Amino acid sequence: MSGIGMILNIAATALNAQQNGIGVTAHNIANVNTEGYSRQRAVLDARQPGLYGGLVMGRGVEVETVSQYSDKLIENRLMQEESNMSSASEMEKYMQVMEGLFNENSDTGISTMLSDFWNGWYDISNNPSGASERILLYEHSSLITEQFNTLASDLNQIETDLTNAVSTGLGEINDITNEIAHLNDQIVGMEASGSANDLKDKRNTLVSELNEYLDIKSFEQSNGSLTIVSAKGCTLVQGGSNYELEMGGTNGDRVIWQNSSGSDVDVTNYISNGKLGGWLDTRDEVVAKYQLDLDALAKEFTWSVNKQHSQGVGLEGFSSVTGSYQATDTSAALNSTGLGFADKIVDGDFRVCLYDSNGNYDSDAILAIDADLTTIDGIATAINGIDGGTNISATVVDDKLQISSANGYTFAFSDDNSNVLAALGINTFFIGSDAAGMAVNDVIGLNKNNIAAAQIGSDGAMASGNNANALAVTDLQNTALSISQSTCDRINGNTQGSITSTIEGYYHSMVGSIGIASASVSRDRSFSELMVNELSNIRDSISAVSLDEEMTNLIAYQHAYAAAAKLISVSDEMLKTLLEVK
Amino acid sequence: MRVANKYIFESIKYNLGSISEELSKANEIATTGKRINSLSDDPVGLTQSLNIRSNLASIEQMGRNISYGNSWLTTSESALTSVKNIISDTKVLCIQMANATIGPEQRSSAAETVQNMLDEIVSLGNTDVAGNYIFAGSKTDTIPFDQDGNYYGDSNAFTIKIGKNSTIEIGSAGDAVFGSVLNTLSDLKDALQNNDVDDIQNAMDNLDGHFDDITAKISDVGSKMNRMEIKDKIYQDFDFTNTERLSKIEDADIAEAIMNVKAAELTYQAALASSSKVMTLTLMDYL
Repeated sequence: MSGIGMILNIAATALNAQQNGIGVTAHNIANVNTEGYSRQRAVLDARQPGLYGGLVMGRGVEVETVSQYSDKLIENRLMQEESNMSSASEMEKYMQVMEGLFNENSDTGISTMLSDFWNGWYDISNNPSGASERILLYEHSSLITEQFNTLASDLNQIETDLTNAVSTGLGEINDITNEIAHLNDQIVGMEASGSANDLKDKRNTLVSELNEYLDIKSFEQSNGSLTIVSAKGCTLVQGGSNYELEMGGTNGDRVIWQNSSGSDVDVTNYISNGKLGGWLDTRDEVVAKYQLDLDALAKEFTWSVNKQHSQGVGLEGFSSVTGSYQATDTSAALNSTGLGFADKIVDGDFRVCLYDSNGNYDSDAILAIDADLTTIDGIATAINGIDGGTNISATVVDDKLQISSANGYTFAFSDDNSNVLAALGINTFFIGSDAAGMAVNDVIGLNKNNIAAAQIGSDGAMASGNNANALAVTDLQNTALSISQSTCDRINGNTQGSITSTIEGYYHSMVGSIGIASASVSRDRSFSELMVNELSNIRDSISAVSLDEEMTNLIAYQHAYAAAAKLISVSDEMLKTLLEVK
Repeated sequence: MRVANKYIFESIKYNLGSISEELSKANEIATTGKRINSLSDDPVGLTQSLNIRSNLASIEQMGRNISYGNSWLTTSESALTSVKNIISDTKVLCIQMANATIGPEQRSSAAETVQNMLDEIVSLGNTDVAGNYIFAGSKTDTIPFDQDGNYYGDSNAFTIKIGKNSTIEIGSAGDAVFGSVLNTLSDLKDALQNNDVDDIQNAMDNLDGHFDDITAKISDVGSKMNRMEIKDKIYQDFDFTNTERLSKIEDADIAEAIMNVKAAELTYQAALASSSKVMTLTLMDYL
């Protein structure tokens, strides 16, 4: 019986094997467009031969395994590059928003407004007593402070948007790691009895999704389960459990990972790639830098204009004036009194001039300032001592110095070489000390005559055509100032240097540097895109399905199947022939 | 290399994507006529163009300052010329009145004429440009001279800026210009009324000095106007060269831009044509 029975047996193994082959082909064809699918192949093998009548005879075919075409090295390189690309393309998106904010091509940018501001002072210097010139300068100055405010709040908005994006991203990451942990369990179960190719493919797809969010490293254990670690070695998935990332920190804007012992680890600065890396880079390096730089510019602009403005006098004296800057302790020495510009106060003095009810010069007093000794309370006392508090007096209200006159008298200031008036916010043009808080002083908004275009002469006289202070303000346009400039780095921290530049020069180079940053992010993105494309091509040439190939295989298997079927009918005929022999 | 179906479609997508990006960029340059459409297109060029724009705004302001200064100086010149004429008229009058044949009545009536001249000089000293007195020093809203020739201005001549570091006095302290003339004329009037020939002679000598002073002052104003004119020309040149530089940095070469659009369009069409061929090829058509 051995002979024919064996042929039938071989035919049966062949039918089975070819059918499996067609099955695998069908599976490949079905997944031709599946993302991340690696084509499979039925690995056929001749069965162990047997001894029949002293002869070693083949025993047919069997499907040894269904294997996958994939190259781990290429897959890893591709994942890394994809992570870079999603980081760069997220950065690019936000950089385009930044470019839009600082777009100076229109006539509504800060650069144009700065020109209008200085030109406004020129116009006042041409006609110091002109009301329309004063109104125009006020309007231009309001516009410029509003533009600073808008930029500050727009940058804040981008920062908030980015934090929200990170927060949403963490939700996605946790979902993915959760699913990978589940798949790990299933794969370990299946691998015990056979191969779990399709589940692994599914897991791979999830891993590359996860990889789009942050840079990860994955290791497959011998039992088929995948361990995933990320920034600073924090484990995201191990076996059947996943460890979640959460928002935390004092402002709720940090990425926190909880380790196995339950303590929080801030991993924010260690996430360098993927969308999360891109968002955090943009937020903590790019946006943060320009927030600091814009504030530095607003601060220096405010200070330099205020310092000059406080030397001058408007078309009339004050009857009451309150400083715009609040101290924390008015009984402390000036340089440690908590004023925003306390560090600018130096030893020196300033002059207060008194004018009678007809506006005629009455008297003056020189008040000495010692930055390490004089207090705000002390200045108030000194002013009260000028004429025993009869026509001029001072008091401290809400930790701000307030000076008032009585009996129709007015007062004005000059020759402040101690910077104390500007630091207290008395007789200043702007208030605030950063981009968000900058505004034109109300004292000027309510009465444009308080724009100090003039300076008081040594004889104490005010002259409406005196433009000495306005001319001095226009000098500031071309004065190089030392303005701080920040470098923000998530790993090495923020460092502050300074450059010497005019206000306009600083702003222009700031706009230029945003352009450079944006151009370099775009270049990174298109380079990563090219790399991803190249690596994908290599990966696809190894792993992706070719329909032509599958069709060819299909026909090969079909023919083999038909031939095996023929074997059965031939064996059948052989048996019949045998049985018919009598 | 083994070519999978996915590869064919992915590479078509990628290539069409990059070519259409190129096409849209080329088209943006051609349609806006600008080489720099966002900061990242050319950050260095952009910084330069911002600096140039600021320069242009300053130049425009300087032009305004110069024309404002000119209006003061022209007015000042014509006022001073009138004063000069009055001085020479007075000189002629003095020569007549110093003559021994002239009687006290004629001298007394000449005193009237001198009073008129005094009034005229006071009113010239009170000349204003749009409400600002140009001979009041920096007290530009105060009438500098009263009827009696007393001066109420100050000694700081009104000054404006016509360059980063260049200022120019466009007004004057009136007492320095008119004070002595007014005194001399007032003395002359008294001398005529008192029929004092010696004093008339003295006044005449003084008038010579005043004539020279005013002439010098007029030529000073003239040279200032000249200086402003030169400055103005320089600014016009600056304006021109800066505008030209700005255009070089910002504006696209239209011919080149259109060529680029054409080239990108051609590449795009070729890619579309070949892609549509490759996409439809399959073994199944032949089985």
